[in-house]
Amino acid sequence: MIEVKSVSKSFNGQVVLDNVSFNIKDGEIFIILGESGAGKSVLLKHLVGLIAPDKGKLFINGIDVGSLSERKLLDLRKTIGYLFQEAALYDFMNVYENLAFPLKEHTRLSKKQISEKIKSILQLVDLEGVENKFPSELSGGMKKRVGLARAIILDSRVLFCDEPTSGLDPIRSRDISDLIRDISRKLNCTTVITSHDIENSMRIADRVMIIKDGKIIALGKPKELEASTNSFVKEFVL
Amino acid sequence: MLKFLTNYIFGVLANLGEVINFILEVLGNVLRGKIRLAEILKQIYEQGLQSVGIVILVSLASGIVLALQGVVVLSRFGAKEYISSLVALSLVRELSPVFTALVFSGKAGARITAELGSMSVNDQVLATRTLGVNPIEYLVVPRMIGCFLVLPILTVISEVAGIFGGYLIGVYEANISGVFYINQTFKAIRFVDFYSGFSKVFFFSIIISWVCCFQGFKTKGGSLGVGKYTTQAVALSYIWVLVANAILTKIILSIWG
Ligand SMILES: Nc1ncnc2c1ncn2[C@@H]1O[C@H](COP(=O)(O)OP(=O)(O)O)[C@@H](O)[C@H]1O
Ligand SMILES: [Mg+2]
Repeated sequence: MIEVKSVSKSFNGQVVLDNVSFNIKDGEIFIILGESGAGKSVLLKHLVGLIAPDKGKLFINGIDVGSLSERKLLDLRKTIGYLFQEAALYDFMNVYENLAFPLKEHTRLSKKQISEKIKSILQLVDLEGVENKFPSELSGGMKKRVGLARAIILDSRVLFCDEPTSGLDPIRSRDISDLIRDISRKLNCTTVITSHDIENSMRIADRVMIIKDGKIIALGKPKELEASTNSFVKEFVL
Repeated sequence: MLKFLTNYIFGVLANLGEVINFILEVLGNVLRGKIRLAEILKQIYEQGLQSVGIVILVSLASGIVLALQGVVVLSRFGAKEYISSLVALSLVRELSPVFTALVFSGKAGARITAELGSMSVNDQVLATRTLGVNPIEYLVVPRMIGCFLVLPILTVISEVAGIFGGYLIGVYEANISGVFYINQTFKAIRFVDFYSGFSKVFFFSIIISWVCCFQGFKTKGGSLGVGKYTTQAVALSYIWVLVANAILTKIILSIWG
């Protein structure tokens, strides 16, 4: 369970999050929709303690993220998968090394076990035979798949994805959205996705939250939002 | 106006706080034994290999120029045989440590900032944190320790190359016997001469790696930012190396004379 309680954040006087509160249930696919610059990435970074709120608190499974030291935060983050908007793979490592990195850091798996794990995880994200490629040799969609693989390789039960479909064509957007949904269901992950891709969001989300100017405009199941009478929501989802 | 001034002072202090915090965190990791040997070896190899050629070239040229000028000046006093001492002492006490540090800033230092900077703007530093790994420990400590070990080695290489440059001129231009030149060189350099120059290098290595790693971590603004912060890092290392050199030289001379 993820709880966000009255979180506010400003940068140099510009209000990005304005007293935002909501809860995310275990195992749910929760999508944060908003226009570019709405504060989606900032919100997601708050959830893993990469940014501290000016006011308010965030809890992940009852742990107050804001109260943790950086060292405790590092431990917490091992249990959370995070897919960055541009995947943020290490560009000095090939795909295999990128995926092996968290395993070498945090597990005692043998070389053979690591290699098997990487093989199976690449199968899961539908990418095979790219182990020796460097990130610069991959397409945007492939990078995101590798990023997704890295995010779940430590068997995280919480998965955060920042704009997984941005920069992809409609078909690849659809594929990666489906992939995230399937993986989330299969591993029973609590999944939080930020997006401005309305169509795919409405399709795969259990619940959708729309933010604008740092405030929550709407929050509910896709069906409920489609029936909404709020003019901005209407404009956004239709 | 007053508000502008207080804002400015506040900004400078905040930045200073960040800079000091950064090095304290590095030290904390080193003291807790968070040292990655494989990463350090990689850094030593990369930083050393990248700089060694140009260090040799610069030092060789400096040795040659010192000897050429030395021949002219010393001949006026009929003391041509002392070229070897002039070359060796200039290099060992002052020129090699400083030149090596400056060349190293421009090569390895720039590389460090550009690498860390592009990792910062591509979220790779943040990604390290989301993977539960401390980026200071993983990315900064090996670079700083690598630098701390490489710069002294490069300095010794620079001294040897410079002395060899002087030797070429001494022997082939000034017709001093080679054996005599080498003998004079070893006679001239006393331990204090060597250490008074060499001890400065450790300070320089900390300054360069501190400045360059910090600037890399602060980089923002895409590829333009990487360029901006990299040139800034090199300029700042130059300035601080030269300022530190003046201060250290004063201190060292008052201790060892
Ligand atoms: N570290 C930061 N410093 C200053 N401003 C920031 C920072 N991070 C984000 N912002 C600002 O916050 C706003 C929201 O950014 P972001 O969350 O990245 O938007 P998006 O919804 O597109 O992900 C933007 O106006 C951005 O300029
Ligand atoms: Mg964003």
